[in-house]
Amino acid sequence: MLVDLVQNTLDGLTFGAGYALLALGFTLIFGVLRRVNLSYGPSIMLGCYAATWVSLAFHSNLFFLLIVTVAATILAGAYVERLCFAPHRGGSAIAAMVASFALWMQFEELATVLLPRHLYSFPALYQGGPLTFGPLFLRLEALAMLATAAIVCPLMWWTLYRTRFGLAVRAVVSQPVAAELAGIGVARIFVLVFALASAIGGLAGYLIAASHEQVTPMLGMWSTLKGLLAMMLGGLGSLPGAVLGGLALGVLEAHSQWFFGPQMRDLIAYLLLFVLLAVNPRWMSAWTTTRSAS
Amino acid sequence: MDVRVDDYTIGVLTNVALFSFVALSAYLLLLAGEMSFGQQAFFGVGAYAGGMLTAMFGWPLPAAMLAAMAAGAAAQFLVGLPTLRMRGLYFAMATLAAAEMARILFELLHFQRTVDGDTVGPDGTQGFRSIRWVFEAGIEPAEYLALIVTLLAFVIAGFGLVERSRLGATLRMIGEDPELAASLGIDVDRVKLGVAAAAGALAALGGVLYAHHNTYIEPRNFDIMLGVHSLVYALIGGLGTAAGPLLGVLLDIGALEGSRVFESYRMTVFGGLVAVLLIFRPRGLLDERVVHWLRSRFS
Repeated sequence: MLVDLVQNTLDGLTFGAGYALLALGFTLIFGVLRRVNLSYGPSIMLGCYAATWVSLAFHSNLFFLLIVTVAATILAGAYVERLCFAPHRGGSAIAAMVASFALWMQFEELATVLLPRHLYSFPALYQGGPLTFGPLFLRLEALAMLATAAIVCPLMWWTLYRTRFGLAVRAVVSQPVAAELAGIGVARIFVLVFALASAIGGLAGYLIAASHEQVTPMLGMWSTLKGLLAMMLGGLGSLPGAVLGGLALGVLEAHSQWFFGPQMRDLIAYLLLFVLLAVNPRWMSAWTTTRSAS
Repeated sequence: MDVRVDDYTIGVLTNVALFSFVALSAYLLLLAGEMSFGQQAFFGVGAYAGGMLTAMFGWPLPAAMLAAMAAGAAAQFLVGLPTLRMRGLYFAMATLAAAEMARILFELLHFQRTVDGDTVGPDGTQGFRSIRWVFEAGIEPAEYLALIVTLLAFVIAGFGLVERSRLGATLRMIGEDPELAASLGIDVDRVKLGVAAAAGALAALGGVLYAHHNTYIEPRNFDIMLGVHSLVYALIGGLGTAAGPLLGVLLDIGALEGSRVFESYRMTVFGGLVAVLLIFRPRGLLDERVVHWLRSRFS
């Protein structure tokens, strides 16, 4: 029983590391642009599809597939930024969000045109069995996911708080007009932030697809929903919050799935989000320096 | 009237009319300044409630419609109580969470009984079959379409009356600036709860009609895709008039799916169209300015 609890927590943390990476990308875009990019997940899905296509056509090695996933996700992200977010800068948040949904539909169709079957296998990172620690076991993909999150999060922090680029990003977040007047190319920052978020998303997508060992068009909606949920649970717009929210969501899901099954797992996650929002939506911005959503 | 229309066209037009209800409910909330990702839930509540009443308990369709609308209104009123004070993304996420909870509850709903030797009722993910009231009453597809369009016309006329009234002005003021509205003595919370109940009833009416058109519903019909689509329809059609959401549905289901020109590229064409359109018209084709201009020309 205790072993199960520990094992579930361990599994939850590894799922959660994936959610944390997704939430990090969402938070980066939301924090800087004050906009929700609904096609974030679908662009990751498209990246994974591009890699699957390459692996079917050329049997390439794992590292090359990772590069393809990240590059295709960045390309898709750039397309989204140009079409949905650049034109609506300072304009309607609803229009930008709805436009990003419109591109989501394009990405889903593009994926099915590229690879028409519903399900494709995605090359796993490692063929052997899981690592065992006494009664506990851990898959290598899970370890890779945890390690990636553990590297990416401090790296993000360092980028945002210790580089000139990070300074410019933070200036744009807190005072967009003043930042522009001070000579920061706000439009350029937006593009770079989008690219950075897409790169993190691509990395997360690659690891998730490799640990599921399959891709379906549903990966897009799945990533968007999980990323949004983790971002909201962790406090909207806060980077450490996004990581904690992702890990908490993973652990919560692992335990509720173990005790109550998959439907209750999703129900509990949404119920928690709803209750947190209903009790006090403001708690979400309590530990962030940025202002609330508008 | 003796107009011959083939079954395919009737099917497309019926779908246009059915999805107009849920698009209109998203539009109503947008007028009050709230962006809901969850209208599919109330469409689903209407579909399940109405379907259960006619198929399991032998209610006539009109009575089931009224009851389903009441259920939809009550459901969105209850969701509205803790959520309507939220703004923007918070409200959108809360409605999304509520709608996904509703969908999972539909998946968990197993409630069947034997009617005339058949087992009918919702069976979780297996869906809910044999909602045959319309078929058994001998109503032809064209007649059912006429019924749906008539109801839709009443709804649009209702919107027209509200928009010309003081209530319509109040609604748009709350949508633009709730603090200003409150400072003028408008009870913003009460108006918004009323709007929520009306939007829930509207979506539920669409749902009960949908269930009886399809005769089969399943939880997947009421997922997030439907909710976001209704928001898209409302926004691209335009926020200036209740005809806007109809135009949005007509563009997607009517022109693109109906014409079958683009075949497997329909989503790509529609998606690109929406994204480009929103750059030039962020409040839709029939936005307030166009509507105002049209009114000044033709009245």
